[in-house]
Amino acid sequence: MNAKPTKGVGERLPLVDGVEKVTGRAKYTADLFPQDALIGRILRSPYPHAELLEVDVSAARALPGVVAVLTGDDCDVPFGILPIAQNEFPLARDKVRYFGEPVAAVAAVDEQTAEQALKLIRLRVRELPIIETPAQARAAGAVLLHDNKAGNVERAVHNEFGDAAAGFAAADLIREETYHTAEVTHAQMEPHAAMASYEPSRDHLTLHTVSMVPYYVHLRVAQCLGMDTSRVRVIKPYVGGGFGSRVETLNFEIIVSLLARAAGGTVRMQLTREESILTHRGRPESDTRMKIGMTRDGRVTACECEVVQRGGAYGGYGIITILYAGALINGLYDIPAVKYDGYRVYSNTPPCGAMRGHGTVNTRIAFESLMTSMAGELGLDPIEVRRRNMLPCPTETINGLRVESYGLPECLDKVETASGWRERAGNMPKWKGLGMACSHFVSGSAKPVHFTGQPHATIVLKLDFDGGITILTGAADIGQGCTTVVAQIVVEVLGVDFRRVRVISNDSALTPKDNGSYSSRVTFMVGNACLDAAQQLKKILVEAAARRLEVAPELVDCMGESFHVATDPDRSIDFGTAAAEALVNTGTLHVKGTFTCPVEFQGGKHRGGAVGSTMGFSYAAQVVEVSVDPDTGQVTVDKVWAALDCGFAINPLSVEGQVQGAVWMGMGQGLCEQTRYENGKHASANFLDYAVPTMAESPPIEVFIVESIDPNGPFGAKEASEGPLSGFPAALAAAVREATGLDFHDFPLTPERIVEALEARERAHRAAQRKSAKPARETVTEGAV
Amino acid sequence: MQPLAILKPASLSQAVTMHQAEPQPRYLAGGTDLVPNMRKNIQKAQTLIDISGLAELREIRTESQSLRIGAGVTLEAFCEAPAVRTHAPLLVQAASQVAAATHRATATVGGNLLQDTRCYFYNQSDWWRTANEFCMKCEGDICRVAPKSDRCYACYSGDLAPALLVLDARIDIVGPTGTRQEPLAALFADDGMHHLKLAAGDLLVSVEVPAQAGWSAGYEKMRLRGAIDFPLAGVAVALRRDGNRVAELRVACTGVNSYPGLVPGLEALAGKVPDDAFYATLDKAVRKEIQPMASTLTAAGYRRRIVSAMARRLVGKLFAAACN
Repeated sequence: MNAKPTKGVGERLPLVDGVEKVTGRAKYTADLFPQDALIGRILRSPYPHAELLEVDVSAARALPGVVAVLTGDDCDVPFGILPIAQNEFPLARDKVRYFGEPVAAVAAVDEQTAEQALKLIRLRVRELPIIETPAQARAAGAVLLHDNKAGNVERAVHNEFGDAAAGFAAADLIREETYHTAEVTHAQMEPHAAMASYEPSRDHLTLHTVSMVPYYVHLRVAQCLGMDTSRVRVIKPYVGGGFGSRVETLNFEIIVSLLARAAGGTVRMQLTREESILTHRGRPESDTRMKIGMTRDGRVTACECEVVQRGGAYGGYGIITILYAGALINGLYDIPAVKYDGYRVYSNTPPCGAMRGHGTVNTRIAFESLMTSMAGELGLDPIEVRRRNMLPCPTETINGLRVESYGLPECLDKVETASGWRERAGNMPKWKGLGMACSHFVSGSAKPVHFTGQPHATIVLKLDFDGGITILTGAADIGQGCTTVVAQIVVEVLGVDFRRVRVISNDSALTPKDNGSYSSRVTFMVGNACLDAAQQLKKILVEAAARRLEVAPELVDCMGESFHVATDPDRSIDFGTAAAEALVNTGTLHVKGTFTCPVEFQGGKHRGGAVGSTMGFSYAAQVVEVSVDPDTGQVTVDKVWAALDCGFAINPLSVEGQVQGAVWMGMGQGLCEQTRYENGKHASANFLDYAVPTMAESPPIEVFIVESIDPNGPFGAKEASEGPLSGFPAALAAAVREATGLDFHDFPLTPERIVEALEARERAHRAAQRKSAKPARETVTEGAV
Repeated sequence: MQPLAILKPASLSQAVTMHQAEPQPRYLAGGTDLVPNMRKNIQKAQTLIDISGLAELREIRTESQSLRIGAGVTLEAFCEAPAVRTHAPLLVQAASQVAAATHRATATVGGNLLQDTRCYFYNQSDWWRTANEFCMKCEGDICRVAPKSDRCYACYSGDLAPALLVLDARIDIVGPTGTRQEPLAALFADDGMHHLKLAAGDLLVSVEVPAQAGWSAGYEKMRLRGAIDFPLAGVAVALRRDGNRVAELRVACTGVNSYPGLVPGLEALAGKVPDDAFYATLDKAVRKEIQPMASTLTAAGYRRRIVSAMARRLVGKLFAAACN
């Protein structure tokens, strides 16, 4: 009876804020800067590792036009996203631990004065040995970045689920390889920016910032400033991309707040691209030793994996990242035994963080690469091998992860057919290849970073005299489209005209608390909270309509914009009348919806068992087609077929965009992106030297949406943005393997690496020819040497 | 950035006069090279003389035996000009690979030719260079790429120059001492700090490309990405085919020296059949000419290797496609 609303769920709806963005009307943080605000600037350490003996700011303070100068002495409260690993100060105190770490900050009347003031600050330091690699960090006698972490190991994880030894004993083929994946960074379009206003008379602080997690920023800023959280207000304007770059409180957000309070006014701060890259929180460089046991028919019997992550100078999300790297070996295939050893290591590089695909990408690259390689050895098709290792569903994995929906088999079917895999794979023309891989990701971490006892998500719908429905949400839209998703859910449930709904988001003074946009939690958790709120509001409206129509609520048909008597459809009232009735005797309605992950979804009982736990995994399979230029080593991605099980596509257009973006980001990591440090100093903190693919490299990406309808997701929906990333690099390497006949274990697959490998093969070939041409006697001599 | 005056001359001669009269002057055309460098404080100016409005710099003129291109023509206009497309498709091939579309809408032919040399120790922020104790090319004493050397090895990275060199282009310059025309090759010097032989106030007015009857030409550029990037190495080739022989061959490289240079010694290949010995000689000549240094994060050895390969296959491709 309920007519399908025109902009409800399942519709290919352009993002509700898309027009503002593409026309330039959308106001991002730096667009909001008042002209008379003070300029905040940060002095950054020119040393990768040094003891700070003195930070002399006297000359800077004396410069006319300088309003405030701060150093590490001005804040002795550490911060960090994890309550158990807060070891970073907004401005370095005893030591600087990476090139670019903030040491001092100034607020001045204009840019020139601020810049001049920075140049007047004198540092006296004692330089310390630079720890640039995990091997250096873990070497005996290595200088410690943090005194309480022996061997510079922030966290070692040792887990075994099932019996790995028995699994390997049952295997017909056991292979072990080590994969090196370079550090990558987010390259989000909008550089970091923030503005803080301090009102001395009320001791109130208002912070506008580019965050993905305004709630956590709120907590940490209050903590570092020693202010009651009630006197802090955090607003997130439009944000130009996240990818994990802003998924924790960042030093500049606290620094600009400290400056505003010290100056007693408003301070604006816009970081350069270089500073944004130095702030980092990207994916750590990893060495992944992967060992898989397989039966002759392709069943995985056991997996053993050791991961060493170069985590950078501070804790950040590090513990979670190293746990994720092990936890999500599971949840994709049916593996009877997994042994995992993870080491998160400190280094004198910018802190790493929770970049898209948090912790799981580099492990997935290793697993998928080795699985494909072993399939080849066994003479099995890579897709077929994966089919032989499918999970039953529903199920609980050996490490306590629940799988309630599982569209991976269908994803494989889609990309196999669309890419012509059966006919083409293994039969590609010279210097061309096809490769494939699978991947998955959580739909929100079932246990939040901070345990508060509160629901995982809360949303408020406000209905007032005007008949407008205002969705109040703290969910941070960072371009991924969650504002659109909540609007679609409300429209779907209430059936109202889309224009009746507006979304107000991310102002801590107005909108309900939300944990933020991380671990792909928003559609699933906030979506469910939104569904709850909309259903409650619908009930209220139906009851009000029943009063006005003088029938029982069960007899009211809600048609969205009107309410009818079921037995007499001509008797009806419009939405405005129902809304007015609903407000009688109560006034403005605030309907709150919440969502909580039941405890049985919150992971295994082992230490760190909450990491990786979720109510629903997305599943993805992709096929990548490449050409390789043997002269230059250039790899061209000709085409990608990517299938994603996102449960249900609330907005298929947006899902396709997310999949394309994920594939594209995986392509960057696979092909050309890597940070570079020379003597501990960032050598590529700009967009020429840090090579993000451009539109010129963007291949045609054919996206297939698989809808497994998750029993717990809103309308069956799961995550859609992180899962499809991590399959790409391994699929790329497999395709390059077919094109060149060479296995690559070092990512990215730069032209340099390809040419080197081709030449090495050529040299080896020539050497073998020479050797076979030589008399046997000489060969013996050679061997003796 | 220091305070800046921007002047708009009404004529070429006024531009040159301004250059002599004003403090720390620089000519500004598209600004895609200069402005980022000024922001990094590696090129400095107190006065910018904006020549982008001078009509005589924006002309593309077909003359009896040549094509004359104003130095102020944007790369976008250049690529779209029918005269260029028919007269010298090679130049369109090279120019269309410069940076990205938005840069080409502003960047000019002259600016591309006269762009500053590049090095990752040099093209960095003021803060980065301070932290890394500068380099010889700007505020420092040593070349960070070759610390024992007494010269700078910053790398020339223009795409148009090698293409124009193999087409035997000439340039017109106006300056305080009058006007002159010279071969493009005479403009460049093998010195990362002073790679342009221009006197103070000299202004590049136009480039003259002689008619190319009988020649086939192409440009290949290697870069990590299909847009934005400067060449890790670039090779331009022009050849004339005579039956099964290469009658004449010119090869020029970019991205592998402090200047864009014609590979010398190729006269030996004139009249030869392009066989293995031919390509071995070509290889040798190319390798002798180029000297990529560690001025990019991509290894110099890689850049050295691919130049030969690119030259070889470009010659082969052009030879095969050329009419007998």
